[in-house]
Amino acid sequence: MKRRVTFVFDGDSPFEPDQAQVTNDSLLIRDLHAAKEDRATFSFTELPIELWQVLKQSHELHIRWAAELPYNATTPFSSRVSPGLHILFTPLAPGRLTQPLCQLLIKVFSDDLKCLAPEISFTIIPVLSQRFASNSSLQFYSLLPSLNGLVTYIQQKICRANTACLEHAASILSADSVDIDYDSISHSLIISGYFSKSPGNRGWTEKIRQREFGWDKVEVGLLELERATNPEELSMGGLLTVVGEDDKLKPTLFSFPSRHHPLPPNSVYRTAFTSPTGLHPTLKISIPRSSLSRPPAPHATCALHTYLTLPSSIFVDKYQLSTTDPLFLNSHNIAALRGISGATDLEAPDWLIPEWGSNILLELATPQHSVSGQEDWNITIPLHLRYLKPSESGYRVTSMPWPIVFWACTAEDGTKMSVNPFSRGNLGWDGNFGPRTMFFQLHPSDTGWDGTLVVRQVEELVVPVLPIREGGNQARNIELGTIAVIFVGCVWVLWKLSLILVPLTSGGRGSFAKQEQKNE
Amino acid sequence: MMSSSLSLFNFPARVFSAAAALRVGLLFYGLYQDAHSPVKYTDIDYMVFTDAARFVSRGSSPYARDTYRYTPLLAWILLPTSWTGPWGLHLWFSFGKAFFAVADLVAGWLIMRVLQLQFGMDRTRALKYASIWLLNPMVATISTRGSSEGLLGVMVVALLWAVTQRHIPLAGLLLGIAVHFKIYPFIYAPSLIWWLDAEREPAPRVESDEGSGKTAVSGFVDRISDFLTPSRVALGLTALSTFSALNLSMYMLYGLPFMQHTYLHHLTRVDHRHNFSPYNILLYLSAARGTQRDGVNFESLAFIPQLFISAMAIPLVLARKSLPGAMLAQTFAFVTFNKVCTSQYFLWYLILLPFYLSDSSFLKRPALGISAVFLWALSQTIWLGQGFRLEFLGISSFVPGLWLASLAFFAVNVWILGVIITDVGSLETAPRSSNDNMSAKTAFATGEAVLASGAAFGLSPRDELDETRRRTISDYIQQLEEFQELDDEEEVDE
Repeated sequence: MKRRVTFVFDGDSPFEPDQAQVTNDSLLIRDLHAAKEDRATFSFTELPIELWQVLKQSHELHIRWAAELPYNATTPFSSRVSPGLHILFTPLAPGRLTQPLCQLLIKVFSDDLKCLAPEISFTIIPVLSQRFASNSSLQFYSLLPSLNGLVTYIQQKICRANTACLEHAASILSADSVDIDYDSISHSLIISGYFSKSPGNRGWTEKIRQREFGWDKVEVGLLELERATNPEELSMGGLLTVVGEDDKLKPTLFSFPSRHHPLPPNSVYRTAFTSPTGLHPTLKISIPRSSLSRPPAPHATCALHTYLTLPSSIFVDKYQLSTTDPLFLNSHNIAALRGISGATDLEAPDWLIPEWGSNILLELATPQHSVSGQEDWNITIPLHLRYLKPSESGYRVTSMPWPIVFWACTAEDGTKMSVNPFSRGNLGWDGNFGPRTMFFQLHPSDTGWDGTLVVRQVEELVVPVLPIREGGNQARNIELGTIAVIFVGCVWVLWKLSLILVPLTSGGRGSFAKQEQKNE
Repeated sequence: MMSSSLSLFNFPARVFSAAAALRVGLLFYGLYQDAHSPVKYTDIDYMVFTDAARFVSRGSSPYARDTYRYTPLLAWILLPTSWTGPWGLHLWFSFGKAFFAVADLVAGWLIMRVLQLQFGMDRTRALKYASIWLLNPMVATISTRGSSEGLLGVMVVALLWAVTQRHIPLAGLLLGIAVHFKIYPFIYAPSLIWWLDAEREPAPRVESDEGSGKTAVSGFVDRISDFLTPSRVALGLTALSTFSALNLSMYMLYGLPFMQHTYLHHLTRVDHRHNFSPYNILLYLSAARGTQRDGVNFESLAFIPQLFISAMAIPLVLARKSLPGAMLAQTFAFVTFNKVCTSQYFLWYLILLPFYLSDSSFLKRPALGISAVFLWALSQTIWLGQGFRLEFLGISSFVPGLWLASLAFFAVNVWILGVIITDVGSLETAPRSSNDNMSAKTAFATGEAVLASGAAFGLSPRDELDETRRRTISDYIQQLEEFQELDDEEEVDE
């Protein structure tokens, strides 16, 4: 059981030496204004048996959760996923149902997860190349505004009565993103929480102790981004200490090649649906012209991308988007459809879709004459809605998370990105790119067009449905009304036909009578 | 005005040139729109066909393309669309549209021939009625946008031509192909059989049977053997063997996907999305409830009234009065009582309209004709309005809006069907001669009303409001205006 805590300062709030005090069994932190990553590593045997049993069936399991409220992603934690719960899973033995995973996920995260079994509810991640086998093969997503479930689970199953552990677990509630990683090679489970700022932004004040929860090792780093000499690299400098072992903070400076690189804070985008949405909503991504400057990757080809995470109620028409027609693509500022996975059936209603939804990777067009111009650069993505089940009001609300927007820069030849202390893979979207690709992610804007604060990076859609009250008699009335009208229609047509056979004249009746007489 | 319009119909070359010019014009207009607007003239289905043709050209199955729900024959016919022209230009891409347009013209020519040969019309009158198809802007638009529905038209009218000209094996072949293509033409089989050799069947022999003391069984056998004339047997066998041979060979080539997408799909499809059918809301309701409901699934019995009326009752009562009249009534009933109904289905009966109109009370009593066209268009427009509210504005207009509109449209259709049945039923069973006392003027005037109704077709929901088509309302209006202009131009010409 190991713990690693990393504080990262941005330039605004300098670190004073008296803000961190090393004692013989603890580190005291005071009013530290910094982003924080808190990472705990558990070995197999330290886990509850039910968790262990599910992990045993997994080759790899990666869980990525991001908060709905926009947050700063401080380097080296600059990679993002769309808000919500992302699960990437590779079963150990393909072809065997791994149902217990879904049961566990529901138990840990939320009862609302649309998860029956990975083989049914998960989508298959398209494999770019067998060489990148490190990527998980199945994917699941669900909106999840809060990690209450996870906190409760950890408190009940892992902490039991340990107060420090209970508090530590509760702190997850203020995390902006949480990663859970397991792979069958290291046989260890890593939980990391990222906090863009301290709760209430009052600065971190805490006592990090080794013995509080039987940690084998507690490492703490106080770091700041330094200027790297190589554009593919990040350089971090600052102080490191191992709590209970070191008697002071040791200065450090290290560089490492990184896939994820930061963009300036003003590189933002906003997302909304254009009104009216109808059954074919259009998603609009707006990027201020000033946010469109090319990322600092001198020897690489860069392209702007967006990666959409669509719940099953919303889908794209892959034939519509995979067109090469420049008129269509230009009218939407889309360059090309680069990847699509999941539920893309064009006809099925939502209740017949077994998967959670779909993912779409689009390459976006960028303006010919960059930076100039006042208007935002708008990308529009035509989407479609599935029919949803009837409701009493005649409407149902469906939501989708904001997509992520990023530059992918691929160098012809260059450093292969090796694993670094802060490397973060298996984000779902990164697997679509080769190993020499660098990512520069734009930041979801925390203010809307009108200057109001963005509270959720989630867009809601009102979907018209059949208005039927549960237990009411509308359904019966529709049924009876339809059948009555069709019945009358039938009778009318048959009546008209019978008039031809037996004209409604006295002659007609007479002929019947004659016939009867003869038969007698 | 009138004399110049008469002169148009005096010369088949002029009518067919006009029909061809209309289609060539639309084809080029389509190329222009496709090249200059992100909203395409070309039908989405045409992209499906051509994608499937490309798969075939690479040696794979047309069913590799999602939503390809047609016979592989269609993809084969469209194989040239996958060819690359000189300098890498996709000149061949429009081959299918041109093919469909030519099929339209052939259908028009066949309509004219049947009207002349079977109805004894002179050429000018025949051309006028054939123009309901040939010069109809809706028909021309549908085929030049690349929809294959017109192909069914040429098959059905060729079938009618072949059977009335006693080319029985050819008729059987056409029937087999048509059913293989789109299933629904199987409803014509009872009509054809019943109509064929009707005169050779002796009158009911109730009295003679009793007199000679024959047993009921031998009487029954006699009736059967009288019924099984060589022509009927030939038609049945050629149709059945063509149909079986096509299906068997397609199954051997493409296996289960062929069966699944061409036929089984129609049995299992949910059809919950809004369309003109009166069953539509019921289907949405029951699909959403899934299996967790008790009681009868009425919609699963929908085929009973539909098939009883269109494939049994109408053929028995009407086929011997007038074969094309019965076929029209059958198609009209089949579409009206179908679980799914989109505007492309209207083409199925439009092809048979020219054979009926000359005897119809819609032409004899223009007030009736105009009210029928008006009500038909009105109920459809109301539905389209509700569909627009749902599809584009996101207003829940399912109930009562769409539901009542579809029931109203059904009611109008049933009423029109009643008139058609009565009209066809009042015909003499004997073959008709050319002396028709309806004035050419009335015929033309109302024919024009039918042409004008094509403009109402322009607002077809399948093209615009159906899930697979998405166009803005401004396009609707533009399209409507274009049709209006076309009509205006025609009037000026006259």
